[in-house]
Amino acid sequence: MKKAIVFAKRNFIEMSRDTLSYIFCVAFPIVMLVIMTLVNESIPAEAEMTIFRIDNLAGGVVIFGQTFVMLFTALNVSKDRTGSFLIRMFASPMKPNDFTAGYILPMLAVALIQALCIFAAAFIISLITGFTINPLAILLLIPAMLPSALLFAALGFLFGALFSEKAAPGLCSIIISLGSFVGGIWFDAEATGGILLKICKCLPFIYCTKSVRAAITLDLSFDSFILPEIIVIACTVVLLFLSSFAFRKRMKADLA
Amino acid sequence: MKAISTVNLTKEYKKLTAVDSLNLEIEEGELFALLGVNGAGKTTSIRMLSCLSSPTRGTALVDGKDVQTDSSSVKSVIGISTQDTAVAANLTVEENLRFMAGITAPSTVAKSEINDRAEKMISLFNMEEVRNKKAKTLSGGWQRKLSIAMALIGDPKILYLDEPTLGLDVLARRELWKLINNLKGRITIVLTTHYMEEAEALADRIGIMIKGRLEAIGTVSELEEMTGKKGLEEVFVSIAEK
Repeated sequence: MKKAIVFAKRNFIEMSRDTLSYIFCVAFPIVMLVIMTLVNESIPAEAEMTIFRIDNLAGGVVIFGQTFVMLFTALNVSKDRTGSFLIRMFASPMKPNDFTAGYILPMLAVALIQALCIFAAAFIISLITGFTINPLAILLLIPAMLPSALLFAALGFLFGALFSEKAAPGLCSIIISLGSFVGGIWFDAEATGGILLKICKCLPFIYCTKSVRAAITLDLSFDSFILPEIIVIACTVVLLFLSSFAFRKRMKADLA
Repeated sequence: MKAISTVNLTKEYKKLTAVDSLNLEIEEGELFALLGVNGAGKTTSIRMLSCLSSPTRGTALVDGKDVQTDSSSVKSVIGISTQDTAVAANLTVEENLRFMAGITAPSTVAKSEINDRAEKMISLFNMEEVRNKKAKTLSGGWQRKLSIAMALIGDPKILYLDEPTLGLDVLARRELWKLINNLKGRITIVLTTHYMEEAEALADRIGIMIKGRLEAIGTVSELEEMTGKKGLEEVFVSIAEK
């Protein structure tokens, strides 16, 4: 585990020195939070549309931010695969699990920092707009967002392992758009019904949004929080195994 | 005990035999050069000896340990500097060294020891002036020095240098030669190169690889005697054209 932590530290430092990671992982989600709050202010009360109200919006934006965590995980892994850096690492005493942990752990730290920044921004907006967010919700948000953060980091790890430095970001962009759409971040997916709702429910993104939203509104009911969280954890476990397996297979193929 | 010994070590791809029945014995403390043109099988040989690629046939013992059945033990006694400089681009020289020391050191090694190892490498490779520079901002020569320092920081018994001076200007190359010469005798070094003068200047013994086969092996004078030619370049040409 010590080697995994050393490797994770390297990955965190590399990412922290990339200005783009601050723009995409922190600044952009907060800008979206502000823009969508302004949109919400423009919607007449009679429309009874609460999706962009800050207590609902904050949870969606936390998940939106995590899609960029996926993008940067994919970039880190695919970039390392392109050069000789990973060859050196593979000739070192590191074990396969050290690589998985080393790539994913720093992204959890990034997701945590990101969630704290978004929550702080959302709390300030709530004071301005008058829709209250309980500051204690942060205590629930932290454990609630970790499974979805892990899910997106594992997805990024999978794309980084399977695709090149050029292809991986492109594919991640598709997931960012798809995840935002079918994850119910920018609209109330559950109010739609039909084939669209069925598609949304077949993918893990809507459960990520639902559980984090519930954590921020302190709604701990089975349907709103516990069940979505269980589904996210189950999908995360599957994706972690899948991405770790794909990474090992791909590296063996790259080195052969 | 030999530092490295291989018996019929072979690597085959679908239609290509990259390394064909390599039989090799390298003594402890020896600097051995694998000389050959591009595609001769030098890098593939190094990859098999460093557990990066599985042999199709044959055996290889590194420090007495089998590369196929005891790869963890092999990895704990080797250091490798690849053709491309395998460094963490956004980390400084000092951070790269500490990082690699942390990766190669056993879990029981204290943080102070990790820092000491990094300092030792900075001093050995005269990297004081670039210690706080990010690796991506360094010149090719400095990057190559850092790459070798990273390979050495785990205190390996065997060091693989794959084309260490490829693409460097003459001054940077000479400086690296000086560094490699200083390491001679202290650890076993296997160096691959396609520069004749490099093999001649550095190696105790030279193995000449042509199309995956080790066609000749010996000191420069032994190879000259073997072929009746003068100078390594003439020796190499006569073996390659056979």
